[in-house]
Amino acid sequence: MQHQLIDTPDFGMLQITFDQTGEKIVSESGAMVAMDTAINMQTSMRGGLLAAAKRKLLGGESLFQNTFTATSPGQRLFLSPGPEGDLRAMNLEAGQNFFLQSGAYVAHVGEQLVLDTKFGGVKGFFGGVGLFMIKVTGPGTVYYSAYGALHEIDVPPEGYTVDNAHLVGFTEGLTYNVRKFGGFKGLFFSGEGLVCDFQGQGRVFLQTRNAGSLAAFLQPYRTVKAKG
Amino acid sequence: MEFHVLYRPSHSLAVCNLNPNETVRAEAGAMVSMTRNINVVAAAKNPADGGGLKRLFKGLKRMALGGESFFTNTYTAMNQPGHVSFAPSLTGDMIVHQVQPGEQLLIQGSSYVAAPDSVTIDTKFQGFKGLFSGETLFFLSATGQGPVLMNAFGAIETIDLDGEMVVDTGHIVAFTAGIKYSVVKASKGWISSYLSGEGLVLRLQGRGRMYVQSRNPSEFGATVGRMLPPREN
Repeated sequence: MQHQLIDTPDFGMLQITFDQTGEKIVSESGAMVAMDTAINMQTSMRGGLLAAAKRKLLGGESLFQNTFTATSPGQRLFLSPGPEGDLRAMNLEAGQNFFLQSGAYVAHVGEQLVLDTKFGGVKGFFGGVGLFMIKVTGPGTVYYSAYGALHEIDVPPEGYTVDNAHLVGFTEGLTYNVRKFGGFKGLFFSGEGLVCDFQGQGRVFLQTRNAGSLAAFLQPYRTVKAKG
Repeated sequence: MEFHVLYRPSHSLAVCNLNPNETVRAEAGAMVSMTRNINVVAAAKNPADGGGLKRLFKGLKRMALGGESFFTNTYTAMNQPGHVSFAPSLTGDMIVHQVQPGEQLLIQGSSYVAAPDSVTIDTKFQGFKGLFSGETLFFLSATGQGPVLMNAFGAIETIDLDGEMVVDTGHIVAFTAGIKYSVVKASKGWISSYLSGEGLVLRLQGRGRMYVQSRNPSEFGATVGRMLPPREN
């Protein structure tokens, strides 16, 4: 299987060319842009109904995932994320972990790759929507997206703080703590609400735009419901 | 203190590097990330704004008039160097204008992102409310010396003016005060101004530099907003 990240950074898309029959890639539902008609697409609920429903409720991630299987060599498949922005691949060794904000997950390759949606648990839940993290464990490759550009930061010794809405993911070796940010912020629709403090040795991945700010911008332009 | 704008032009991110104990003041809501030694004061003191209650009142007034949260936070690097990164809500570029002593830069309210303490942002309202569209226009004035970080919806064009030009109110980002402005109808009659889709425009006269943005936030908001379900209030 050959993969190519094309049209990055503004409108990233993943182009897959299968080398052999039986090769597979799994994506979140709705990511398929185009494919050879003979590719076999199977829809399933990852981890069963309960786990899938929990992901949908807590993480805003889609309920279903699609598995694409090549039926002959040379078949092509294009996948893309929802928001405009960058798309990247992370290759993970066996046992290596990568933590992704659940909405940033696009696709993965590797039958042994584990997506643990239970990770984050209560902590993630209280972190608010958008900080429901999934723990990805290798071996395999995971493809992830950003709304806007993807900015990488090696956490400095004194630690690093990220607005929750701008967090895409982070490598292992980091601990994090969610806290409120900004005094007047709670009063208003927009503005940072929660931030994540990182400590330790590792890398944090940020997106330079966030969907919440766009929604906050658009809010005043909605018409007002007629009274009565 | 210096600003570096990355990922231009579509999804710009501005990284502000601070020396020990330096401060940058930024519009609340723009912060993306920062080093842990940054001390943040919310709705912080703007020298031009007076005391606590007065500041709150001014902030609320600006929100009412400008339709946005114009509170500023201050970010200070404690004891060692640090950085803060900022991004706007919408797709587009950011630009840094160096304010020179004796110069005044008028910035369209929602285009302002951040500036150091050496630049005074005077938040006195001096705008107007659009008659047709309901869109509002207000300017902030930047004086002093140092960089001012501004954002745009779309690309930013820098235009050096010597004479007169008309600029759509939704496309203006900023201009130096050597340029005088007046708000005028886009064409001779009120009806044709309305039908032209331009409504009211700015007539800019004089000599100086101006920045325009290639997309109009109100147009975009109106286009998408009417497709969304109605809100309660």
